[in-house]
Amino acid sequence: MAEFTPDQIEDFKEAFGLFDRVGDSQVAYNQVADIMRALGQNPTNKAVNKVLGDPSADDLANKRVNFDGFLPMLKEIEAQPKGTVDDYVEGLRVFDKEGNGTVMGAELRIVLATLGEKMTEAEIEALMSGQEDENGTVHYEAFVKHILSV
Amino acid sequence: MGCGIGKSELRLKKCDKAIRAALLIQRWYRQYVARLEMRRRCTWNIFQSIEYAGEQDQIKLYNFFRFLMDHFTPASSERNLISHIFRKNEICRDTEWERYFCYKSIEVSASCTGPHLTFPMTFSGVSKLVEAFKHKQQLHARYVLQLLGETWRLLRILPNISHISACHSKPITICGDLHGHLEDLLLIFYKNGLPSCEKPYVFNGDFVDRGKNSLEILLILFGFLLVYPNHVHLNRGNHEDHIVNLRYGFTKEVLGKYRVHGKTVLKLLQKIFSWLPLATVIDSRVLIVHGGISDTTDLDVIARVDRHKYVSALRPPEAHTLNSRSRETGAPAAGRRRVCSLTYQDSPRARMHQLPRRSLHDAPAASQPNWSVEEELKRRRRLAGFDQTYGPLKTPDSVCESESGGTTGKDVDEWKQIVDVLWSDPMPQNGCIPNEVRGGGCYWGPDVTEEVLARHELQLLIRSHECKQDGYEFCHNRRVLTIFSASNYYEVGSNRGAYIRMGPDLVPHIIQYQASRTCRELTLRQSVGWTERSALRALREKLFVHKSDLISAFREFDPDNSGLISLMHWAGATERILNLGLPWRVLRPQLVSSTERGMVDYQQWIRELSITEPKLEISDNSIMETMYKNHSNLETIFRIIDTDNSGLISFQEFCQTWKLLSSHLKTEISDKAIADLARSIDFNKDGSIDINEFMEAFRLVDVSAHTAGPGRGAGAADLLHAGQPGQFGCDLFP
Repeated sequence: MAEFTPDQIEDFKEAFGLFDRVGDSQVAYNQVADIMRALGQNPTNKAVNKVLGDPSADDLANKRVNFDGFLPMLKEIEAQPKGTVDDYVEGLRVFDKEGNGTVMGAELRIVLATLGEKMTEAEIEALMSGQEDENGTVHYEAFVKHILSV
Repeated sequence: MGCGIGKSELRLKKCDKAIRAALLIQRWYRQYVARLEMRRRCTWNIFQSIEYAGEQDQIKLYNFFRFLMDHFTPASSERNLISHIFRKNEICRDTEWERYFCYKSIEVSASCTGPHLTFPMTFSGVSKLVEAFKHKQQLHARYVLQLLGETWRLLRILPNISHISACHSKPITICGDLHGHLEDLLLIFYKNGLPSCEKPYVFNGDFVDRGKNSLEILLILFGFLLVYPNHVHLNRGNHEDHIVNLRYGFTKEVLGKYRVHGKTVLKLLQKIFSWLPLATVIDSRVLIVHGGISDTTDLDVIARVDRHKYVSALRPPEAHTLNSRSRETGAPAAGRRRVCSLTYQDSPRARMHQLPRRSLHDAPAASQPNWSVEEELKRRRRLAGFDQTYGPLKTPDSVCESESGGTTGKDVDEWKQIVDVLWSDPMPQNGCIPNEVRGGGCYWGPDVTEEVLARHELQLLIRSHECKQDGYEFCHNRRVLTIFSASNYYEVGSNRGAYIRMGPDLVPHIIQYQASRTCRELTLRQSVGWTERSALRALREKLFVHKSDLISAFREFDPDNSGLISLMHWAGATERILNLGLPWRVLRPQLVSSTERGMVDYQQWIRELSITEPKLEISDNSIMETMYKNHSNLETIFRIIDTDNSGLISFQEFCQTWKLLSSHLKTEISDKAIADLARSIDFNKDGSIDINEFMEAFRLVDVSAHTAGPGRGAGAADLLHAGQPGQFGCDLFP
């Protein structure tokens, strides 16, 4: 399992506190995925549910966890492979029919809405806005840089 | 993009790849959004903490003045400088006041380019006013006084609590804080229509301060009130208060726009503010107040008070200071902050609140007539053992004591009802505790909401008072709704504004908006970035003005003088000095350019923070720092001293201001330092100093950033400048 330095743990602890909206030094199960993402991880929702012990919808909304319970979950996620720039570019190349470094925006939108952990129309719109040129194509290397640069 | 099952291995492989690609993009997108949200939340915390710290400062300053008033002889010149703000409120000798406020002698010259009003006000008259203000015209002082005079007369006959009803064809529109943002009011009118018999409105306080069109907003709202007194309802906010206005820009705005009659306008507004109703109730089911409630809120009491007795909500009945009870509870404020800090629960500040309060009750009551300010204060400080705060004269629990002139428990109770309603904020935890962050009112919990609503047979509480990212926010199981109508409040793109439309079903429908074309065209990421840069700039300025204190604090953790301290000590010391309750570790990558093996080179960091170029050369550095640190306090004191509201003070008054400030801060500022300072300033021919010029000369200028870009309106209490993108790093996390 990954090891964090004491400084990193203090950083995480403080960030964790930012998400506590109730004041009991805990966060809801359904916030855990976002906190991990804010702390530099990028797990799938499925992976997070796994470390949470496959909670029910009710659990997700009502159960809470404190920092000491959260940290081992974070470690588990940290140990899982992330994804490099190349992985993303390779992944998008799947949709590059002409092999010229572009994909059709429309196709990408359908993929994101129907495959994997589906995104909502609003999410897709926010992601894609400004990425398609006048022909509706996306130059995906630039696209990947855009997503990774936050 | 179908996935044919079993058609061919190649096809399956491609499908699999597609799913994995999708998952990858989705994961990363969700991380992008979470990180943006984190940054936005931090930025929000920064702005809000600075804002509330300013309010707390104001109350501390006011308490300090009360202390002076109560402890110093009438002959003391310092006391005389400020005594006028404590002048007893005369019982309304209205006829005399009417003569004082008479507009009739004011001539409107033929060359006047502003709108001409006729009275009584009509709908077309107000519409004309709205149009004129849209085109940046100014209303002549005569008409201002006339309109305000009519308003005052009307308000005097209105009850403390307006009871209204939502009828089927006329849903009620409810707006929150406007804070001088005329463009937001115009946007609401554009989207929703002007007030009329068919379109009733409730405006929930805080019309003035911070923005630069506070007066125009007031005139428009009062205009509509005069035309439709049964369909336009105004609630008083905590900023409808002349003491608060001294600090937050409204006083300055009025005096700037009306050089001859500004003082009269302000005096009349003082009366008008005190006569504003305190609450509105819709169909006996929905309560609308500016701030909120406390566990003792009782609408029957509120309905009965003589509301105009409370010219300033900060000014209690005799012998009590705001939040005097709060210093008894000893509860750490850390948990009440927006940021629930898990790392500072043992901070010195938290511990300080648990120290036993030393009461000045035991000190001899009479002060010696011939002692100077400094001597008196030194004596008291010695007796009190260097108490951190200026406490109340009597033991705070003796509510029923009536020492000086007729203070009763009932007066205090009434006053508390009003302060609670104007200043309180909701909190997630159960209970009701003093609001130490702002310095007035309470923090109240969901249990208090349930109890108070049930007691009054109400179903919903609508309040304002707190800026919200989306312009509104529900809390306490949707029993409390916060509505805030000033978009871009902290900075362009910082938040949307919103208003409520409510029909007879009493279900709130919320409409959001954001003024200004530019920010609507920004992507979420761009607007988060812009706002974040502005917040960080404000924060860096605060850090910079505290650099001496910071270095002393850091040195405590660096006995070997290596120049390095650990991250933990850096964060702890910074919080101790700035006292803003911010997540310093999370902010660290944005504030500190590099760390070595988990250590911060604090000397270098402080050097990096040096962003200013003072416009004046002063040899004494400590007085400079005091000036920057206490920019708002200083301005407030100047404006209080400037009794004729001329904008000018004499050299002697200037020196006395410094004496007052140094007493308040308990720092020593030598006479020589003050004289040096005065010498470096431009005096007018008659030996007086222009307040605005002086404050302008000591405004921090960030020379490291370009300053073109959207900025805040005049009258901002904090030293905020908006700068161009790109100066400091974008990423919160490396």
